[in-house]
Amino acid sequence: MSKPTNSVTGSVAIPPGLARPLGIGGGVLAILGALLPWVTFLLNDGAYPDKATLQFFDAPYAVSGFRLHVLLLGVVAIVAHFIPVPLRRVLRALGWGLIGVAAVNIVFPLVDGGGFGAITSDGTNFAFGGIVSLIAGIALVLAAKTGPLEPVPQWKTSVPTLVAYAVLVVSFVALLLVVAMMLNAGGQGGVGNPYAGPIFLSLLAFLAGVLGALHGIGLTGWISGLSDKHKWFSVIVLVLVALALPFTEAGTDYWMTTAANIGVYAATAIGLNIVVGLAGLLDLGYVAFLGIGAFVAANFSGAAAAAFDIELPFVVAAIIAAVVAGIFGAVVGSPTLRVRGDYLAIVTLAFGEIFKKAAQNNIGGLTGGANAIPNVPPINWFGASFDESLTIGSLELPSGVLYYVLIIVLVALVMVVFANLKNSRIGRAWIAIREDEDAARAMGIKTGQAKILAFLIGATLAGLAGAVFAHKTSTVAYDSFQFIESVTLLAAVILGGMGSIPGAVLGAALLLVLPEKLREFSDYRLMLFGLALVLIMRFRPQGLVPDRHRRAELADEGADGVPIEELNVHDTPGDEKAVTR
Amino acid sequence: MSATPVLAANSVSMVFGGLTALSNVSLRLQEGQILGLIGPNGAGKTTFFNCLTGLYSPTTGNVQLRGQVLPTDPAAVTVAGVARTFQNIRLFPSMTSLENVMVGRHSRMKQGPLASLFHGPAYLKGERDARDRSRELLEFVGLGTVHDELARNLPYGDQRRLEIARALATDPKVLLLDEPTAGMNPQETEATRQLIFAIRETGVAVVVIEHDTKFIFSLCDHVSVLVQGQLLVEGTPDVVRADPRVIEAYLGKPPDEVEAEVRQYAEEAAHGGPESTQVMQPIRDQDGHEGGNR
Amino acid sequence: MATLLQQLINGLVLGGLIALIALGYTMVYGIIQLINFAHGEVFMVGGFASLATYSYVLPESWRDHGHWPIALPLMALGGAVVAVVLAVAMERLAYRPLRNAPRLAPLITALGVSVILKEAVRLWYPGATAPVPFPRAFVDEQFRFQLGEGTVTIGATAILMIVVSILGAIILQTYITRSRMGRAMRATAQDPDTARLMGVNPNRTIVLTFTIGGALAGLAGVLYGIHITNVDTEVGFLYGIFAFTAAVLGGVGSIKGAVIGGFAIGLIKTLSGQYLPGGTQYDLVWIFVLLIVVLVFRPQGLFGEPERVRA
Repeated sequence: MSKPTNSVTGSVAIPPGLARPLGIGGGVLAILGALLPWVTFLLNDGAYPDKATLQFFDAPYAVSGFRLHVLLLGVVAIVAHFIPVPLRRVLRALGWGLIGVAAVNIVFPLVDGGGFGAITSDGTNFAFGGIVSLIAGIALVLAAKTGPLEPVPQWKTSVPTLVAYAVLVVSFVALLLVVAMMLNAGGQGGVGNPYAGPIFLSLLAFLAGVLGALHGIGLTGWISGLSDKHKWFSVIVLVLVALALPFTEAGTDYWMTTAANIGVYAATAIGLNIVVGLAGLLDLGYVAFLGIGAFVAANFSGAAAAAFDIELPFVVAAIIAAVVAGIFGAVVGSPTLRVRGDYLAIVTLAFGEIFKKAAQNNIGGLTGGANAIPNVPPINWFGASFDESLTIGSLELPSGVLYYVLIIVLVALVMVVFANLKNSRIGRAWIAIREDEDAARAMGIKTGQAKILAFLIGATLAGLAGAVFAHKTSTVAYDSFQFIESVTLLAAVILGGMGSIPGAVLGAALLLVLPEKLREFSDYRLMLFGLALVLIMRFRPQGLVPDRHRRAELADEGADGVPIEELNVHDTPGDEKAVTR
Repeated sequence: MSATPVLAANSVSMVFGGLTALSNVSLRLQEGQILGLIGPNGAGKTTFFNCLTGLYSPTTGNVQLRGQVLPTDPAAVTVAGVARTFQNIRLFPSMTSLENVMVGRHSRMKQGPLASLFHGPAYLKGERDARDRSRELLEFVGLGTVHDELARNLPYGDQRRLEIARALATDPKVLLLDEPTAGMNPQETEATRQLIFAIRETGVAVVVIEHDTKFIFSLCDHVSVLVQGQLLVEGTPDVVRADPRVIEAYLGKPPDEVEAEVRQYAEEAAHGGPESTQVMQPIRDQDGHEGGNR
Repeated sequence: MATLLQQLINGLVLGGLIALIALGYTMVYGIIQLINFAHGEVFMVGGFASLATYSYVLPESWRDHGHWPIALPLMALGGAVVAVVLAVAMERLAYRPLRNAPRLAPLITALGVSVILKEAVRLWYPGATAPVPFPRAFVDEQFRFQLGEGTVTIGATAILMIVVSILGAIILQTYITRSRMGRAMRATAQDPDTARLMGVNPNRTIVLTFTIGGALAGLAGVLYGIHITNVDTEVGFLYGIFAFTAAVLGGVGSIKGAVIGGFAIGLIKTLSGQYLPGGTQYDLVWIFVLLIVVLVFRPQGLFGEPERVRA
């Protein structure tokens, strides 16, 4: 029973006896860290961080911003010891959140604020807050390593419908508020506001810690179980909630535009997710379909540089764009009949490059070549031009809000397509092909047809997104559709979790919001993408929001991928007490 | 052999770049029959299965299902009514048991892409029927309690049974089992034997590849022995068991010893007491090491 | 006539370069079935490393024309060593941990590694946001022939390129067929499990494969630099694709195939740029079309063996 636990926890072995001292001590340290002075320094405008010079003895309650987050994490860590939760899971999440918050707020002043002195002293005071909080975080993580991670509790999803509805509404509204808070955190990045990046990252770390803890107690699993059960209700609420974003503090021109961009990429990424996530076919030229959709729509938009002197209604143009892209998708996918997996990736890459070259050379006069197709008019429905602001009654909504609404509808549509296909005969066939192609054929699945269908549907969705893209950006140029954009889309899918819809949206959002917040690091954007691909494949191949199948796998595994049966062998009575207390 | 056999292989030969893996192998499977295919390591049993299921296209000869020549496309063969399991289990590891079986229903479902997109009433009914049928099949093979378990998390013996359920979901007329008891303990082996009898009761004819000769002799109505790509002997278990060539070529043991062993097993099987039996160690084929997970 | 001959020569030179890179692709794919996307970037890094050797390591007095017999081998060494270190580190850190992962995982990792390498050079090599010039007056002998109306030019670097690539391939082929480690490599490529049982250490053989591939790519980097007289972060991706196409065309896993495929691609690029509609704007497109056609109609390539289905 009392075998050494180091085989479970990996490299570090912490005696179980230290669990409580480390856990509660870490919590106390975090609270202390939040109240101690943190570093402060001035860049162009204003002190970083906000209210960082607060003195414990002067105004103990005026803590805000990330220091409030540290405080909260610490309090929760202590409270968690006295309520029945999977303690080590919760502590691990809180600990990593603390480490993240502290690290961001130590490293940024260190790099941008003038070296080591900047983080240890603040005028006459020693600014230990950051370091104490970091130690607190480490203590919590170590406390989580005193034994195997507990299984995530499964809450019953058989609750009265009304209760389920209420829970879903509350959760989605909370989600909306979190999103608005994140978009707003630190404002938009750039030279004028160098604090945006760290403030955003710090908030991200805090939220990750909180979400991790909520996942650890089974809450997020329960909510997603409920939303699986009440699929249609969830979709409707989610759309309504998304439509409420313009009314929050994030409802500015700037964020509406960014959110619309995210939407276009998210819709495209979901399409790619059908090909990569469900059917397991790597497509490295996928952005070409977005490009085809955009060029088709631009040519039918009545723009001066368009090849056809005809202005079709947007809906018609979008359908044509989707169909044309879909046809190309089927053509590109057709080598799957003969070409094996990774060779196929090269075929798609080659196609993407052929498309780019053709567009660059203004093939058939359809793409404008280096001149692009400029001045694509905005969508105009019932006299409302989509690029202007909108006034409803006394409410003035930011410009771009109509595009935002259109794109929310588009994303919702694409999500429903994805979800319906995934839970169907076709979706099962795709997943079977991904898992074992020979076995899939032996089950009577015509694998060639199924794979071409995946390409076709994925490309159609991208073409549709491309049509919106053309009107929204107003200039359609070949260099918006380069290899690296395909890599970005792929990174979004993989970061979020292959085969998972919320994952694709989250991935696209992160990959577009982060560069906005971290303008001063824009040079490093691509390198960070590359790094993200490598690290995710190595350490979290299932992505941030794994698909249900993969989630089920995870629920059965401990932190380091050790199957639960193996973990139980090492369980000691002391651990059980910690769980049930 | 008067009636049209449900499955017939006619002089199937298979040559791989100058290497003859099978030469002129013929086989007749009658309705309701359980046919055993045995042979030493590398005799070409799995190659023969691959020819039967359309994975390989035989160099000469053909395969007929109820008189119709089968195409050499695994999906089409399955649609026609020949289903198989694999020697090295090949489930869809990150799908649940139920989903694995529902994939087996694929070719018997009608929904096209548009129906799959819109989920209309007819679609939902089809989906419900498939789920019900799949649940039945899981019950049938004794996996009624593990619908929502991921295939990769099932114990080994359950994985083999799940593969059989998945194959049955294609509504086959003929079921081909490639070493269904490999790696099983005696209890599981006996359960599998009963399961195969039960499958026969439902009107499906079965071909079994096995190394465990006792298992084959106690299970099958008809046994074919494949040695070095050629059909050496075929007939009832009694005939095959008594044939000195089989004992010589396949078992490599003095005939009387093997015969005693086999007779003992047959008696035990007849008296329903498998507890004391020793299962012969399965001999793996060359490509047996390739695991189900890629 | 002179134009045709000139383009043939240019094609062979380009082909030699592509062949050197293709050898790395083909060997790595042969042994671990991984399309090592980042291999083209290893070639690019090799070019930059040899330039760095010239600019930052060699004493100033060696940088003139007269010293090339010392300077050039040292540059080649610098390029090759850095490329080898990079290739081996890549295998150790990125690919080895994923050896039993689903097939997509190492491929996506390779893609990520490729982006990282390219960005790292672009950001951190001085001046690498634009093409960086190689020493010009270094190996610049030109041989000219009069042919009818026109002139045909062959540079010394061009001859060097062709000679090195063919020699390299011959040495490699001999090594693989004759030496003990070569046998181990072939055994591992055919069946890693059995090879292990026979006492072959698969990790060692795989590292060796990456080493050889890296060295050849590094060498190709130097040759590219002195021949084109500049090096640029974009070339890794481009030549990586060319080389991959060459490897596929020749039959992945085959040394002979990689070389012949390399020369074929070089010739197709220069000839299509000269004679096909669209000119050099579309030469890339023809190569990709060829790649797709080969993959579809003869996936095993010209010299490869068809894959056996396993069940």
